[in-house]
Amino acid sequence: MPANDYLDALSMRQQVAIVVVVATVVAAVFVPVVYGTTSDPSDTVAVVEVEGTVNAALADDVEAELSEARNNDSVGAVVLKLDTSGGQPVASERMYKSVQRTSAEMPVIASVQDISASGGYYAMAPADEIYVLPTSTVGSIGLNAPAPASSPPVEGPSGPDKTGSNEIEQWAQQQTLADTFVDAMMEERGDEFEMPREEVAHADVYLGTEAVHNGFADEIGSLDEAVHEAADRAGMRNYEVDTRETGMDGDLPILIQTDDELVAVYSNDPGYAEVEPMPFAYVYEGAVPHIDTIERFAADDIESAAGDGDTAGSGAVNGDETDGTNETDEIEDRTDETDGETREDGETNDAPSLSGEVSP
Amino acid sequence: MNRAMTLAVAFVATFALILGGAAGIGYLTADGAETPPELENDHYLDEDLVHDGTPGEADVEMSSTAPPQTILIDPGAAADGGVAADPLALLGLGADGAADRDVRPLVNALIENGHEVRIHTPEPGAQPPGDDEPTALGADLAEADAFVTFRTEYADAEVEDIETFAENDGHVLLASDGDAEFDQPGAAALDAALGVTTEPGYVYNMEDHDLNYQRVYAEPDAESPVTDGVDRVVFQSATPVGTNFANAELRPSDGSQLSTTRASTEKPLLIHTGSVVMAGDSDFMSPENAQRVDNDVLIGNLADFLVENDRNAAQQPPESSGDEAPPGEPVPPEEFPEEEPPQG
Repeated sequence: MPANDYLDALSMRQQVAIVVVVATVVAAVFVPVVYGTTSDPSDTVAVVEVEGTVNAALADDVEAELSEARNNDSVGAVVLKLDTSGGQPVASERMYKSVQRTSAEMPVIASVQDISASGGYYAMAPADEIYVLPTSTVGSIGLNAPAPASSPPVEGPSGPDKTGSNEIEQWAQQQTLADTFVDAMMEERGDEFEMPREEVAHADVYLGTEAVHNGFADEIGSLDEAVHEAADRAGMRNYEVDTRETGMDGDLPILIQTDDELVAVYSNDPGYAEVEPMPFAYVYEGAVPHIDTIERFAADDIESAAGDGDTAGSGAVNGDETDGTNETDEIEDRTDETDGETREDGETNDAPSLSGEVSP
Repeated sequence: MNRAMTLAVAFVATFALILGGAAGIGYLTADGAETPPELENDHYLDEDLVHDGTPGEADVEMSSTAPPQTILIDPGAAADGGVAADPLALLGLGADGAADRDVRPLVNALIENGHEVRIHTPEPGAQPPGDDEPTALGADLAEADAFVTFRTEYADAEVEDIETFAENDGHVLLASDGDAEFDQPGAAALDAALGVTTEPGYVYNMEDHDLNYQRVYAEPDAESPVTDGVDRVVFQSATPVGTNFANAELRPSDGSQLSTTRASTEKPLLIHTGSVVMAGDSDFMSPENAQRVDNDVLIGNLADFLVENDRNAAQQPPESSGDEAPPGEPVPPEEFPEEEPPQG
């Protein structure tokens, strides 16, 4: 046989060398698979929702989701889907730190929907890029707090500051709180802001179209485009999108302005324990209704309920009192449709367009 | 071991070595094996971040040796629990006025120096007087040598009484602020009677301020009895004030801006025009603010201004007689000289 002749012509050492070369070539074919399996390559973009009032419950969830994303080897990038006008300072700081840590380990893109202001802006600032829609609202870097006022002496507490501090001390504390926020934003985006710190501290808000020019945002783009950018930065050619809901169900809590302070309400029919004063807040107040406004609409709601039974009120809440019935029906129809999709896919209303295998 | 076996072992060993190495490298470089990065947030540790909340101290002193005077104060609040005298306030539209403690540093200085302080508080529910009837304010002013008011909205007859009082050597200290521009309809009448002006909006300073951008510093425009010994004072949410006389006493520090224009402003926050001193802030005399920078010195100077008048309450009526000098041109007191009238 010619083959045997060739082998016979080679020494044993030469034959082994040839086998080693062949084994190396064959193994090389499998190396990517084996390496990929053991290194567990990331193929998922986690979309973490940051929506509604920034409070402890939302911070708990966002921290947990981002921690899971960091420790889940299949997650290669994170997109923050933001729609919030802010809330509690501490909750904002917690999310800021969590996003900061995540951003140090993988690409993080912030995608602003309607608004990400004040505490919401604080939370997303460490993201690699901020995507906004043309009419999104961002900014409001500052503190909401009433002017400190002296109060009559209260007898009984163990110390003079137990039931209220000195007026000047309160001013100092509030300014420290405000500067903590502004300084953090200057640290994160000082190179992007096209304005000095003094102007940032004005706490103005900007539409997306302006924000991409003054450095409060980086790109005009939708959530899909933010997801694509995140995947691209993570080097994913093919990827999946995993949407993570956070915070309380529904739109709760809601923020309400009173004449004296902001309050967070944790129920549509709140009891005493479901109204939380917020003496200090990182909130864009332009997005927070005054209690007088709510009472005015609630009065209409009550009147409708008295006349139409328990189905009335939706039209008034949506600001359409004249043809509220028809509009309400349409809204309910659309809700039914989306509910159907939700049940089918097990995703949120926004999720279907983001779910599944996506190729750039 | 035959040749075939030897070659097979070589193949398997090589194959396993390469794939095992790939697997090992893959495991070692997996994300989960990475050490979380240390985060440094030095901006939270900056020593300058924590603002000094030390309240400070106040020492309000008067230098005047004037004989005992009667100073009438209208705090803009009724006596029954601080309800604002302005009827609109009952609808939530009026300014809160000044509580007793808000004027205590001034009042105490006056009392300690032997002067009499009276508070004008209209009776709750009192009807406005008829055309020929004296007003309660006019009756109080008739017995006073100086007048301090935190109100800006008065009935026409009361405005006439105040104007007459100023024309007859009574010294007037008017303290207003930006809030009044938003919720009180009649401030312009009193301004016109006293020859002073205010502006909508407030002055703020984003860099040079006392713990808040609305707590601005104001500095003397020139040496004068009102600003003697004053380096800087703090005004809170102050509105610019003016007059047709060029006698600004205190102007905001560099970098201050006006809320309505977002532009730099040097417009005065306290002016002195003859018998009238007008401040664009009603909070600067409170106990807490009296302790900031030189507010206590300014309060002492204003107390001197109030008692250094040439008014003789027993002989000079509060009612207008029609032939007095216009406000701003009173008989010059010794330490608070008459301001020059405008040229042209």
